[in-house]
Amino acid sequence: MAKKSGRKKQVRGPNQMMLRRTLFLMIVCGIVAFIVLAIQLFRLQILDHDKYESLAIDQQVRETNVSANRGTIYDRNGKILAASADVSNIFISPAEIKKNNEDPVLIAQGLSEILGVDYGKILEMTQDTGSWYKTVARKVEDDLTEQVRQFKSENNLIGVKIESDTKRYYPYGSLASHVIGFVGTDNYGLSGIESYYDDVLTGTDGRVIRATNAAGTQLLYTNYEDYYDAQDGSDVVLTIDATIQYYLEKHLQQAVEDYDIRKGAAAIAMDPKTGEILGLVSLDNFDLNNYQAVSEEVQEEIDAAETDEEKSALLSAAQQKQWRNKAISDTYEPGSVFKIITLSMALEEGVTDINDSFYCGGSIQVTGDDEPRNCWKRQGHGAQTLTQAVQHSCNVAFINLGVRVGARSFYKYAEAFGFLNLPEDTSAIPSARTGIDIAGESGSIWWSQDLFYQSNNLSQLAAASFGQTFTVTPIQMITAVSACINGGYLMKPYLVKEVQGDDGEVLSTNQPTVVRQVISEDTSATVRNILERVVGDPVDGTGKNAYVAGYSIGGKTGTSEKVSQDAAGGAKEYIVSFLGFAPTDDPKIAILVLLDTPSNDTGIYISGGQMAAPVVGNMMADILPYLGVEPDYSETEKENMDKTMPDVKGMSLTEAQIAVTNAGLTCRVIGDGDTVTDQLPVAYSIIADGSQVILYAGAEPSAEQEAVPNLIGYSYTDAALILSWYGLFVRTDSSVTNPDLQMVSTQSIAEGEMVDHGTIVNVTLVSGDTSMQGRY
Amino acid sequence: MEYPESRLRDYSTDASIGRGALDVPFAALTILLLTIGVIMVLSASYVRAYYTENGNATYYFTRQLIFAVSGVIIMFFASKFPISLYRRFCYPLLLGTIVLLMLVLIIGVGTGSGVRRWIQLPGGQTIQPSEFAKLAVILVFADMICRFRNNMGTFKYGIVPFAVILGVLGVLLVLEPHMSATIIIFGIGAVMMFVGGTRLFWFVAGIGVLGGAFLIITKVFPYMSTRIQTWQDPFSNLQGDGYQIVQSLYAIGSGGMFGLGLGQSRQKNLYLPEEHNDFIFAVVCEELGFVGAVIILILFALLITRGYWIAMHCRDRYSFLVATGISTLLAMQVILNVAVVTNTIPCTGISLPFFSYGGTALWIELAEMGILLSISRDIPTTPAERKKKKPSKV
Repeated sequence: MAKKSGRKKQVRGPNQMMLRRTLFLMIVCGIVAFIVLAIQLFRLQILDHDKYESLAIDQQVRETNVSANRGTIYDRNGKILAASADVSNIFISPAEIKKNNEDPVLIAQGLSEILGVDYGKILEMTQDTGSWYKTVARKVEDDLTEQVRQFKSENNLIGVKIESDTKRYYPYGSLASHVIGFVGTDNYGLSGIESYYDDVLTGTDGRVIRATNAAGTQLLYTNYEDYYDAQDGSDVVLTIDATIQYYLEKHLQQAVEDYDIRKGAAAIAMDPKTGEILGLVSLDNFDLNNYQAVSEEVQEEIDAAETDEEKSALLSAAQQKQWRNKAISDTYEPGSVFKIITLSMALEEGVTDINDSFYCGGSIQVTGDDEPRNCWKRQGHGAQTLTQAVQHSCNVAFINLGVRVGARSFYKYAEAFGFLNLPEDTSAIPSARTGIDIAGESGSIWWSQDLFYQSNNLSQLAAASFGQTFTVTPIQMITAVSACINGGYLMKPYLVKEVQGDDGEVLSTNQPTVVRQVISEDTSATVRNILERVVGDPVDGTGKNAYVAGYSIGGKTGTSEKVSQDAAGGAKEYIVSFLGFAPTDDPKIAILVLLDTPSNDTGIYISGGQMAAPVVGNMMADILPYLGVEPDYSETEKENMDKTMPDVKGMSLTEAQIAVTNAGLTCRVIGDGDTVTDQLPVAYSIIADGSQVILYAGAEPSAEQEAVPNLIGYSYTDAALILSWYGLFVRTDSSVTNPDLQMVSTQSIAEGEMVDHGTIVNVTLVSGDTSMQGRY
Repeated sequence: MEYPESRLRDYSTDASIGRGALDVPFAALTILLLTIGVIMVLSASYVRAYYTENGNATYYFTRQLIFAVSGVIIMFFASKFPISLYRRFCYPLLLGTIVLLMLVLIIGVGTGSGVRRWIQLPGGQTIQPSEFAKLAVILVFADMICRFRNNMGTFKYGIVPFAVILGVLGVLLVLEPHMSATIIIFGIGAVMMFVGGTRLFWFVAGIGVLGGAFLIITKVFPYMSTRIQTWQDPFSNLQGDGYQIVQSLYAIGSGGMFGLGLGQSRQKNLYLPEEHNDFIFAVVCEELGFVGAVIILILFALLITRGYWIAMHCRDRYSFLVATGISTLLAMQVILNVAVVTNTIPCTGISLPFFSYGGTALWIELAEMGILLSISRDIPTTPAERKKKKPSKV
């Protein structure tokens, strides 16, 4: 440097001003600024700590839902009616696909191959790069999920996601579909028990909380995960017995086919002493595993519709119809079945007794009627005892009983039986529900008290006495009748027996609930005895078609004209019903069957006695043995029953003939030997009483086949006879009460089909007894 | 009269004079902060390194450790040279810096399109000429102040020459563009002038002019007003510049009183950008909490005040000016970085000395510390000695 020498003399330090200014700098840069920064840090780290921490955690943490397993639904014997299985939902995150530069084509191809979802559709989803969630497939089974998982890890795809879910399975398909109900895709119960007990069944979903990096993947080295276990839903045990349910559905379905029922049918089986529902059917039913699907015929109709709107409207209407639980949600005029109630209240009120007598001249006019009311039998029932009046279902006698009871008393009993609640406001329409534990119960509709109590107009009371001009639900009807026959106690009907936890421990139990005692034990016993005669009397009983050989069954028929249809001027439509119970001395089961609008074209007279009673009879014939009720056959009953073919092969002809005769069968012999070399049908086959079997003595049965003849429309006895001409035999699961009058409605092997000799055709029977035609 | 002898000694140039030991507190604080810094680089960077360097989680740490060790060697080496040597080469350094700043506009590389800040060396290293410019300004301005000692109060000497140099550097830096370096160089230049004796009036005027210009700029350039808005409410601009500052606030706020613990930062999991560079202090706050962050700030404050202490004990004006400049430069870097990270001022890219990852920057910082230590060697070590040998004021 140039001035080196000069500067040597002029060495100088900083002057005072410099030192002052530096001191100022030192205070500002070394102290003040740092205090400011520390204050800012204090604000951020201490004062706003919670705010920033929660914001930070929000972004650092990913929450994954762990579906709680939905509880299982069991029948009363532990059979699984509904259960959940683990499945997965497959979705993609287009945003992450883009972010991580993953190949949309590869993803679309891979997923489409595994899941069978349209390739183009997936590819289109990947283009929506603003989205983090596009569902590719829902409720994917385990094996496919595993394939997706493999595909995902092989190609290291972050944008393909798997989420656990559960799927509902119904092992019995359509069985008890209206009781069990179904769940939506989000596993939320939409109908039936699934809906009513949704809270119990659902449980609480669990969560996995996982800290992730900004890319949404697992942290390095550290691993922060928190599990909140899913609380599985509780199991529900129904009062329903799957076997009884099956019998109800089988016979009701048969009736719908036999009588060409147009507007559905319902059946309820109840334990009258407890109020437990043992079975509950509503037809049409549907497959719970595929609850959106409608029957093929309806689907064809829908496909035939022209516009999409029409199609969806039709589909929606059809679905609503098939999902509707007729037994709970529909109201109907009970008709003569209600006479059980009128009878009970009249007996309890003491306005009649078993020795009472009535005269029916075919019609009666009460105060307020413009013209006389006809009994269903125009020519009149003549003189009859109380029992006969019930057997005949005589309207005139019951109008008498109703008038004797009186309007106010009548409503008091109707209220006690759970048919209505009397409102304070006497001009209001009374209504009531049973409170059964299932979604969708409707309420009854009655006359207002002002109208019903008019002293100068008894027409409402008269009509109500035989079950007309008001509507109730089937569940109300069977609940009230149960009270009439169980000793007088109105029970609250229920469908769920108990709720169980994970390992089967009982969390809660529904005990039978006595709502109130309506009639005395004695009155109840009298009612049972009278109702037994309705079914058990083969001559006078209007319910004789419900009779099952060996059992004492009580019941009452019902036929009601659908007023609305009549008013609209259309063809007359009827609801036919029958309410039966057994055994009469100690009822174990009551069954109500209701058929809505049988076709006028089947040739069978439309009435509860002709149509509904045999259905209940057939149900009883299956269910009573199942319930372990011992049959007690009379001599004629034993004769009428199907017989078992003895094993006579190798016997001498004479011995064989005696054996066959002893078995209640007849025989013809082919061949001229002395020993039976062969027989048709084979040993231990069950065939109709009196069938003619074939014994071969040295001859061979023909190897030729026979065309099955038509049996429908013939009596059971005739069917056996016709088949015997062909070397064929007949048997039935229907209860045989009067083989000469019961008609074949269906045959298991269709007419014209070629079968071997000795084949047994199974038939179903309907009542062909036309001796008592009438809308009773 | 023991003084004249010592007065005649030129401590700044006479290399033959036996120099004292370097200032131990300053050196110790530097090495302590550097050590903490390197550890924090490991903690902050390993997630990023894992993903960007093929699973080599210690990539940045290893490199930073090598830079730190070599940097400390450079620091001691630099402390051995007498201050006169630096003074002798200060003008060539400034010239070379200007050449490099021009060169960087031609062959430079940067972080974004159109940004040129680094020169790529054949060995794969990069150098940032603006770092040299900061040192050059300190060394040159100190010399100029010494030369113009009698005229610093005038406009002609106290303002013009300095303004010309700052103007040239400023234009070159704005062309890069490199906002934060421009601010720091103007700031350090202004501080040198302030200490050197430029009249306070000019600073008041300068602040007025800058403030007015700032207001106009924010009105005219929407880019600037967005930046101000982002500063005032970073959450309003989460998709853009606000993202980084919000992530930083999350990290700092999450730390609380005692922090999540060393190595436990969550925000470093790719949430916080620049987590081992400009925003490493946010990770420090998150992991070590308010207590840890304040301790580190105190260590910095101690280092800086020690730097000023050394300056004020210089018996040579040039040394005094250089020591003040380097201390102020260090202070500005630390204060601005922490202020940005805590959203106390609008966001701009300033690294935190001894903490932020980066080789050449660390070397230069440690070299500057070395120069300050070299100056400290000329200061007597004990208070008694200092008093005794203190030169008379002029």
